[in-house]
Amino acid sequence: MATELPSSARKVVVHFRATGGAPILKQAKFKISGTDKFAKVIDFLCRHLSRETLFVYVNSAFSPNPDELVIDLYNNFGFDGKLVVNYACSMAWG
Amino acid sequence: MLMEAQKYVWEGAIPLQIHLHESEVTTFPPPPPALILAPRIGYLPLLIGLIKPYFSSALPPGVDTVWFDYKGLPLRWYIPTGVLFDLLCGEPERPWNLTVHFRGYPANILIPCEGEDAVKWSFINSLKEAAYIINGNCKNVMNMSQSDQVELWRSVMNGNLEAYQRVSSKLKLGTVEDEYAIKMNLSSVKSQQGTGETEATGQVKTGRIPIRLYVCSLSEDFDDLEDVPKIDIWDKISFINRPVEIHKEEGKYFTLHDAIKAILPEFFSEKTLMESPSQGGEDKMNFPSEDVSGRKAEEEENVCEVLETSCTSKAEIRLIRIQGIEPKLEIPFSWVVNNLINPDHFLHICVYVKVPNLNTT
Repeated sequence: MATELPSSARKVVVHFRATGGAPILKQAKFKISGTDKFAKVIDFLCRHLSRETLFVYVNSAFSPNPDELVIDLYNNFGFDGKLVVNYACSMAWG
Repeated sequence: MLMEAQKYVWEGAIPLQIHLHESEVTTFPPPPPALILAPRIGYLPLLIGLIKPYFSSALPPGVDTVWFDYKGLPLRWYIPTGVLFDLLCGEPERPWNLTVHFRGYPANILIPCEGEDAVKWSFINSLKEAAYIINGNCKNVMNMSQSDQVELWRSVMNGNLEAYQRVSSKLKLGTVEDEYAIKMNLSSVKSQQGTGETEATGQVKTGRIPIRLYVCSLSEDFDDLEDVPKIDIWDKISFINRPVEIHKEEGKYFTLHDAIKAILPEFFSEKTLMESPSQGGEDKMNFPSEDVSGRKAEEEENVCEVLETSCTSKAEIRLIRIQGIEPKLEIPFSWVVNNLINPDHFLHICVYVKVPNLNTT
């Protein structure tokens, strides 16, 4: 299973994947502090893609609420040492 | 019935006294506050339909974007009303005095809410997340028929437990067998456990309980709940999402105490220190903690050292509240899960922690 578990102070690798025709980022993988909230991930994407709103998902499955800590998401839903975050300009998975 | 407490949870409501914010009052005298019973499992934006007609004649011209505050703190609309109440009212205030705003949405603090659809979307996503924790995927929720999804949402909005159970049972999210029931049926049930469950659902259960923990850190000391200082910014609250796995030990219940300790080991001083090395690395993987206790076994010495220092700092749990109840820590956790779980299949737990002045997180 998981190799080494980061404590929250450690950084989490977030792998962004565009879906449903959303613009693709030049760089797909970013490190983000585990103590950051998911809101920061959403903000980051919106800024990079210059969009007011985006639909942001984990593992092509659900949208976490913005208060969730990145480290909790990584521990609960991450695999292969990263957290997969999908984003779309319109609702992709109801 | 074993699940009687669940009925109480579904029927639970908080009397609200809602005031229109003074900056939006254009009439004299100002409109009297609105009195509304808000279901615990509901969400504040779902009350807008009732509140709006009440205040509409007093409002200045403009476009409505409704939000609520309690003592100046804008309320997060996607947190169930009962949880907001348990979290923000140390000493329960009845009626709960909230302020409603129709203008000036604080977009820097709250995510936008486009009415009921946004709340439904948030609820379904929470349910999907819970399903993911329980089953390792959320296909059951994603493959739900449109009519089932609508019915499920309606049942939550209307507080209709029977309708909810009818639809949600299809999602196969039941995780815990009530330990009372097992005990009563004696040992014959034991052999059926697990195998039966797996075959019935065709899925391997992880046995994990989805938990949303709201930890309110207070640096000021308080003896009485009445003296709990008001929470004026959300930064005082840590949102922790860590599932708990129920460990069964022969002749022993897995208690609420065990569950909280598994999520927040840093607040269980000496006992945790003594027990944690024997637990082994495997177990810890399921609930790595914010501090160092999630590290590997070889770092154990180090772990103890750091934990010790955090012990001397004397952070301690002062209050645990679930669905308005302050349960005894020795009750079986399976009972808590089966009865006090929210319709989104998360167990929402509010915790007050007294921290020393130096490290408020």
